Amino acid sequence: MPVPRPVPNDKGDTVTMRNVVIAGYQRSPFTFATKGALAKVRPDEIAAQVVRGLVEKTGIDAAEIEDLIVGCAFPEGEQGLNVARLIGFLADLPLSVAGTTVNRFCGSSMTSIHMAAGAIQMKAGEAFICAGIESMSRVPMAGFNPAPHPGLYARYPEAYVSMGVTAENLAKKYSISRAAQEEMAAESHARAAAAQAAGKLADEIVPITDRNIRVEVDGCIRPGTTAADLAGLKPAFDQAGSVTAGTSSPLTDGAAAVLVCSEEFADAHGLAKLARIRSVAVAGCAPELMGIGPVPATKKALERAGLKIGDIDIVELNEAFAAQALSVMHDTGIRFDNTNIDGGAIALGHPLGATGARITGKAAALLKREGKGLALATQCIGGGQGIATVLEAC
Amino acid sequence: MTAIEKVAVIGAGVMGAGIAAHVANAGIPVVLLDIVPNGASDRSVIAKSAVEKMLKTNPAPFMHRRNAKLIQTGNLEDDLGLIADCDWICEAIIENPKIKRDLYRRLDTVRKPGSVVTSNTSTIPLGVLTEGLGDAFAADFAITHFFNPPRYMRLLEVVKGPKTRDDAYRALKDFGDRRLGKEVIDCKDTPGFIGNRIGIFWSTVATRSAYDLGLTVEEADSIVGRPTGVPKTGIFGLADLTGIDLGPHVIASMIDLVPANDPLRDFVDPEHPLTKLMQKMIADGYTGRKGKGGFYRRAKVDGKSVKQALDLVSGEYRAEQKARLDSARVARKGLRALVSHADKGGQYAWTVLSHVLSYSAALASEIATDIRSVDLAMKTGYAWKWGPFEMIDMLGADWLADRLAAEGRPVPTLLQAARGKTFYREDGETLSILGFDGAYIPVAVPADAWMLADLKRGRTPVKRNASASLWDVGDGVACLELHSKMNSLDENSIAMLKEAAKVDKLGFRALIIGSDADNFSVGANVGVALFGANAAMWPLIENAISEGQKAMLGLKYAPFPVVAAPAGMALGGGCEICLHADAIQAHAESYMGLVEVGVGLLPGWGGCKELVIRNLQNPKRPQGPMPALSAAFEAISTAKVATSAEEARDMQILRPKDGVSMNRRRLLADAKAKALQLAEGYEAPKPIEVNLPGPSAATAFRMAVEGFALQGKATPYDTVVAAEVGRVLSGGDTDITETVAEKKLMQLELQGFMNLIRNEKTLLRIEHMLTRGSPLRN
Repeated sequence: MPVPRPVPNDKGDTVTMRNVVIAGYQRSPFTFATKGALAKVRPDEIAAQVVRGLVEKTGIDAAEIEDLIVGCAFPEGEQGLNVARLIGFLADLPLSVAGTTVNRFCGSSMTSIHMAAGAIQMKAGEAFICAGIESMSRVPMAGFNPAPHPGLYARYPEAYVSMGVTAENLAKKYSISRAAQEEMAAESHARAAAAQAAGKLADEIVPITDRNIRVEVDGCIRPGTTAADLAGLKPAFDQAGSVTAGTSSPLTDGAAAVLVCSEEFADAHGLAKLARIRSVAVAGCAPELMGIGPVPATKKALERAGLKIGDIDIVELNEAFAAQALSVMHDTGIRFDNTNIDGGAIALGHPLGATGARITGKAAALLKREGKGLALATQCIGGGQGIATVLEAC
Repeated sequence: MTAIEKVAVIGAGVMGAGIAAHVANAGIPVVLLDIVPNGASDRSVIAKSAVEKMLKTNPAPFMHRRNAKLIQTGNLEDDLGLIADCDWICEAIIENPKIKRDLYRRLDTVRKPGSVVTSNTSTIPLGVLTEGLGDAFAADFAITHFFNPPRYMRLLEVVKGPKTRDDAYRALKDFGDRRLGKEVIDCKDTPGFIGNRIGIFWSTVATRSAYDLGLTVEEADSIVGRPTGVPKTGIFGLADLTGIDLGPHVIASMIDLVPANDPLRDFVDPEHPLTKLMQKMIADGYTGRKGKGGFYRRAKVDGKSVKQALDLVSGEYRAEQKARLDSARVARKGLRALVSHADKGGQYAWTVLSHVLSYSAALASEIATDIRSVDLAMKTGYAWKWGPFEMIDMLGADWLADRLAAEGRPVPTLLQAARGKTFYREDGETLSILGFDGAYIPVAVPADAWMLADLKRGRTPVKRNASASLWDVGDGVACLELHSKMNSLDENSIAMLKEAAKVDKLGFRALIIGSDADNFSVGANVGVALFGANAAMWPLIENAISEGQKAMLGLKYAPFPVVAAPAGMALGGGCEICLHADAIQAHAESYMGLVEVGVGLLPGWGGCKELVIRNLQNPKRPQGPMPALSAAFEAISTAKVATSAEEARDMQILRPKDGVSMNRRRLLADAKAKALQLAEGYEAPKPIEVNLPGPSAATAFRMAVEGFALQGKATPYDTVVAAEVGRVLSGGDTDITETVAEKKLMQLELQGFMNLIRNEKTLLRIEHMLTRGSPLRN
């Protein structure tokens, strides 16, 4: 059993913390919203099958799980009520396992991991399933009933700024050319296609079956995409801008889940540990530049871990938009060559609430697969936020 | 009578696929089969790709995309068994009697007893098609000849053979009439039946004579188009549309079949310079709009797209020249003035009409059961405004016979018989037609299939003003007929709507609203609004809106049922009339929508209110206040027009209890039947109150439209107009916890309308629409 380590907090004090590990990661295939293979499957059903798959794959005794924490960006309709509890029922988790739904838009399911980690450290539970779900086919982005505060919109319209416009703002601010965005998007597809072809994604995917539907592979990846192909697309958000559908993450359906537990618990139950959570952080930023959110979040998380960006071997940086990811790389010093090595959201897709669990689980799995020491998972969040998690090999 | 509940169409070419699509439009499952092409990996590729192509064709063969799912595709080798449970099998394959007969033998091995087989042949006589097939097959066989495109062309020619079963033939005709909405015309078994026999002769004479008399293509089309009641494409524009390469085929097949003395032969000459020119055009790929160009084309000259026309003599394209023949101008005074004019346009009109009318009169008894069948066939199959015999009546039978005689030309027997008479005679309320024996035959008007003209004949309206009339259509039902230009709505129309809301005082127990016009109503006459705005007569405009609102509410809350019967366009105010009726009985070809934003306005006569309420009442909509409002907002802010009654149903303009009539001739009768049904124990609707989200919804709409503007999908002024629409639809300054009454929504409409009409950019939009006929995107 590992000895709890003294960890400096951000005031410089040293406190003794329990170790928290990621002991399993699974996700559904990610497919295009509306036209993809999962469009006709309810999101609670997708998530439940992923949760069941995670329980089976890790071999955890489900009765030991404290809570099912599910991130979701638009928790209404089929994702409504307390969908986490319903997913628990659908997944046949014991009734003793609690359930809560979390919303931090795209950061929702990374937040669910952070909540579990915090709870474990204060001995409020030993094992948690931290999941995320989004059917962008069945619950529209912005929800069925958008009802913005008229006064806030009048005084501070940035509060409701559309995501595409924030990417345009970053492209302008950082002078990121359309060609640079397209080059990055093409590379993302190339990496994802290569990983898929080499069977590197199969391990993390739980096939989804519903009625006569069976979905086993990702549907958003377009092998052979070149920057030249993308150059022909029209701007998607601003007719005078540079951001296109090809340099944005697609609207996607999918779910992801990770098993988060104390290191003692993992060891005692013989669970396979993927990575240890070293530090976490969230940070706010200007909503009209929301894509830059990973910069302050990463800075805090690295400081809390006593690390510098150069120490990180593997990065999962969510590609909401190519312009956004390039801006973050510019400000943080994150290098693209060790970032999203199996492809990012532009190629794989970005089911909002599910992405945080995917990139954190993926970073943990990559640490193990690649035999590296430290990893960072970070993403931007609509409304102007960033979230980050630093992982270390167990 | 055999009920037709499932249909098969063999042959997935343009006609076969189009027929299958239209059968699907009637809600009937249909099997579509074609041959297996050599080396095809997908053996049913022909039928499958025909359906896929039709989903992209404009104008759409399908009235609703989902109708495509009613077509089951396959091939003749593997899937012939699919026809086993079909009641009607329609063959639409290559025009070759032997191949057709071989197919019939194969069909006979699988089709069920009592099923009917028909051919869509346009030329081959029935006797030839059934040769050697035995009496049992002949009893189940007939010809059903559709016109292209089958959804839109109303003519269906039917031919029975001497052995065809009466009940089967009746079942086919009834299906064609009620389910497919066609004007079903009995034809005799002669080449080209009625439509193509006269139509091909007409087009041959019209093209050739244009050349011989030295007219340009523009001049010819300016004469043989609207002045003679033909669509404005005229003859050369029509050839471009249908394909210039089609002409030689159809003429060749007709020439093979018509008698040796048929006048068609006088106009077909392989050595004629125009024939040579057209052969060269076809060989070079100038086959019309589908090819590199036709008699007209668009070409780039100095980087600008210009319209060009072909010089018939030199065979070269040149810039289009507007035709300015005096004869075309005097044509407004009538056909006789046109054909009597001395210029080349007048000579051309006389040449074409004298030959076509003589030909029709000479052939009528041989090809048709009566003269009205000939007229109906040409009107519904070739879209002529008047049939040949109606045109003879316009010219005068004596006048025509005299001029033919004076020119030393033969006067057909039927025309001789008509001397001193007319082909159509109105005798009080009865319409009679001149029979082939010279005696008049009354035209029966079935109680369930009539046009308003049939009931108006010989009667006076209950009330009338310049824009609308009220008629007694029997059984205690009144009909409000709009009859201004394009049925646009003005002061008089509104005044008559108000009168119509009081017809119970005149002893009526129900009201229908409809007419025989091509369009139910194109909406309010915005010219009046523009005039008022330019003179800053704001109270006048405000009054017009509030009076219109009162008229609409009058219809809605009248103590008797009101059924609107739209056909063609029902736009803006026309759509608002329908929205305030208790029920709608729509012709399948109804094009409905609230299009006011196109002229920078919003629906002010209750259209916003009704569309919101209809969407809120749609049980299938997702929960919450926004989905209903968003649907109404999208429809109104994009001026969306449904391209069929079924699409109007998707837009909630038609509700589940509203009906659709496929046959235009049955529309008003169906509306009347619906009105009478509603009249039993009728109670006027209760005023509706709704909960609307107010400013937060208006903000959500503003945000959405601003996004569209940034993307270039909305213009700057669109965002202003849409903001007003959003404010009305969301209930103004209300709160979701409060109810909003119908009248409050109408006040918001009035306010929004007045805000917009005072904006100069709205006036620019109206002016653009009135002067150029298209919306200004400012």
